[in-house]
Amino acid sequence: MITEQQVKELLRSGGYIADETIATAVFLALRMEKPILIEGPPGVGKTGLAKTLSTVLDFPMVRLQCYEGIDEGKALYDWEYGKQLLYTQLLRTQLDSYLSESTDLRAAVERLSAEESLFFSQNFLVQRPILRSFLSPKRSLLLIDEIDRSGDEFEALLLECLSDFQVSVPELGVIAAQHKPLAILTSNGTRMISDALRRRCLYLYIGYPEFDREVAIVRTKFPELCEGLSRQMVEFLRRVRELNLRKPPSVSETLDWAQVLSILHTKQLTPAVVANTVGVIAKHQADLKQVTELAVQMMG
Amino acid sequence: MERIITRFVTALRERGVRVSPGESLDAVQALAIGGLSGRSSVKALLRLTLVKNVNDIPAFEEVFDWFFSSNQSNPGDLDPAEFLSAMIHIVEGEQLKADEHRTREKDDPLQIIDEDLTAEDLENLLGLEESDDDAAGAEIMVQLDGYRGKMNAPEPADYYMQSPPTVAFHQGVNKSRVVPFTPEELADMQEVVSRMLVRIRKDVQRMKEMENRGKLHVIKTIQKNYRHGMVPFLLSLRRKRKEKPRLVVLCDVSYSVSHATRFMLLLLHTLQNRLMHVRSFIFNKELAEITPMLRNMPVNCLLETIDKGDIINLDDNSDYGAVFASFKERHLENMRGKPAIIIIGDGRNNYNEANDWALEEIREKAGYMLWLTPEERDIWQRGDCLLDLYGSYCDRVETARDVDELSRLVEDLFHTLFDHNDSRAWKRDRHEPRVEEPAKELNYYNRPKAVDSPNCTQFSPSSKEWRDRYGTPYHKRR
Repeated sequence: MITEQQVKELLRSGGYIADETIATAVFLALRMEKPILIEGPPGVGKTGLAKTLSTVLDFPMVRLQCYEGIDEGKALYDWEYGKQLLYTQLLRTQLDSYLSESTDLRAAVERLSAEESLFFSQNFLVQRPILRSFLSPKRSLLLIDEIDRSGDEFEALLLECLSDFQVSVPELGVIAAQHKPLAILTSNGTRMISDALRRRCLYLYIGYPEFDREVAIVRTKFPELCEGLSRQMVEFLRRVRELNLRKPPSVSETLDWAQVLSILHTKQLTPAVVANTVGVIAKHQADLKQVTELAVQMMG
Repeated sequence: MERIITRFVTALRERGVRVSPGESLDAVQALAIGGLSGRSSVKALLRLTLVKNVNDIPAFEEVFDWFFSSNQSNPGDLDPAEFLSAMIHIVEGEQLKADEHRTREKDDPLQIIDEDLTAEDLENLLGLEESDDDAAGAEIMVQLDGYRGKMNAPEPADYYMQSPPTVAFHQGVNKSRVVPFTPEELADMQEVVSRMLVRIRKDVQRMKEMENRGKLHVIKTIQKNYRHGMVPFLLSLRRKRKEKPRLVVLCDVSYSVSHATRFMLLLLHTLQNRLMHVRSFIFNKELAEITPMLRNMPVNCLLETIDKGDIINLDDNSDYGAVFASFKERHLENMRGKPAIIIIGDGRNNYNEANDWALEEIREKAGYMLWLTPEERDIWQRGDCLLDLYGSYCDRVETARDVDELSRLVEDLFHTLFDHNDSRAWKRDRHEPRVEEPAKELNYYNRPKAVDSPNCTQFSPSSKEWRDRYGTPYHKRR
């Protein structure tokens, strides 16, 4: 059986530096077969965690991107009306001969209704992400991304799927998952997720990483960047985050910046370097000025 | 181990973190799986299973550190007697607290519900079967005596549940004027607000639907499809043009209504530009607009700024008359459309000029005017309260004593706003009984007819009035 430490190692091998809480969450989710709800500011690696997990654990990833107005037809399953119609058209001659044996209308209807299940079978069911992940031949990873963008109705829809790992199709009955997927829900916290959904999940909050972890992340992704520069960079970004910007730079910005600096073959951070590359860190007009000012202040 | 978890959960609940029995079961299961290999891992396990909200994480850390302090030993075999005493202590604590609540405010039964739940959950959870890992928890310690801290646990909702005099008294004694929100209060109010927003959102959706419906505009459709040889590919509908309702809020931040104001500020903070255009002002003697600050600052910072008196001087007494006059002078012209105006305040003018003419002019410009006051109706006449006078210019005057009432009222208002977004509709619905002025009767010289008196009569003896009054009735005639 897998342990926490192994989870951490696995994630590290996939290029994701996890802290203890993240590793524990993944470990618990695997063992308890409970979904994880990940919250945190954008760009701290919520979706990245899911992607890495799907590669290192070799679970095929099924991704469901939420948006306003998403419903069961887009998330769970749908009936393929076109196909159903086509089949009835094609089978018309067979149906005629089949029904011609019955003498009156009533008998014909009875006969037909006996075969009703033909048209409402898995054959005509379009599997949408959640059902697809439930029915996949091996254990999969179900990523429900940015759930805060969807509505309450959709959350209510998820309750059954996530607590019992089953989907109720009125015409077919309950379809249970063959392999319970590792479900990961992410949210940016733009809307409060209902308590009912929270209760069914393990709750993982990923904030901005600590200094050492962030340096480690930069070092793994860009080993060509020298140790001193990456430390200086991370230190600077931590100060930037305290500035009360409109869009504080997140880990993804850190990585972008590291890439830019490595392309530019920078050896040391100077105000001039920051001023030239500030567009990578700050994403608002008002923020640009603050960041450059801070750079002058810090490295003067 | 379940017992420890149960007690830990209870401690969390005391701290204001909501944990369901199902979650504590999860925690037990997680500990069974993850093992008790280290303090930080146990902490992570508990945090993942018990805490379901970012705002609760600091509370959890605090409770965890204090609950499992590392200088005691042997948690596995708890002394049953000790445990029992702890239990009794818990139950007693609840009782005490409940009693306290009852004496403090008799009119509020809502307070006790939470406490009732806890004891019951406790028993439910204690009924669980013992786990094998019980003896393994070498690092988990329980500090029973430290548990008394819960008597001092902050009770977020309390300020809003109490009547204003109580609040005023409490705050006057040991708190500064506008206390910045504690995290618990924030969480509490955030919840009320978010629940409200969910309900309001439905109205907004309906409004949008209404917008997309409409009858076919035949002429425009034909014009639009001219290039298609009049085949109507593009439709043009007679849409009902609806725009976001506009709202103007005037908050009295003086001492007497500060608790209502705090909630309102939070509400505004959440609503700002989400559902409607809101312009918000605060005042006591002078008036200041805080709309841009609401947009850019976290609510806590804003409250601190207000508290420091950076925006307006808090030591002044509120002067409604001057505020209305300056609002009229400085802002009324800039108001777009017909905004709904909400005024929060007790109408205590400190014997200043009433200036109700200004309010009347504001009223004319406003589509709807609502006054919220924390005071009961029967003390409106007392002292310097001008609410009766001011209230006569408002569409509605309502008493809002606590968060629930306030949120209900505001929600009501939104219903009205979204229902008849069209400002003319509010006017129509106001049911003003039209006072029929008696048409003045004019005499031959276009002057009002003089009133008849016994001594001097204007009527000629041949007129009907004269005959009715002075003439001999028919049956008495000879």
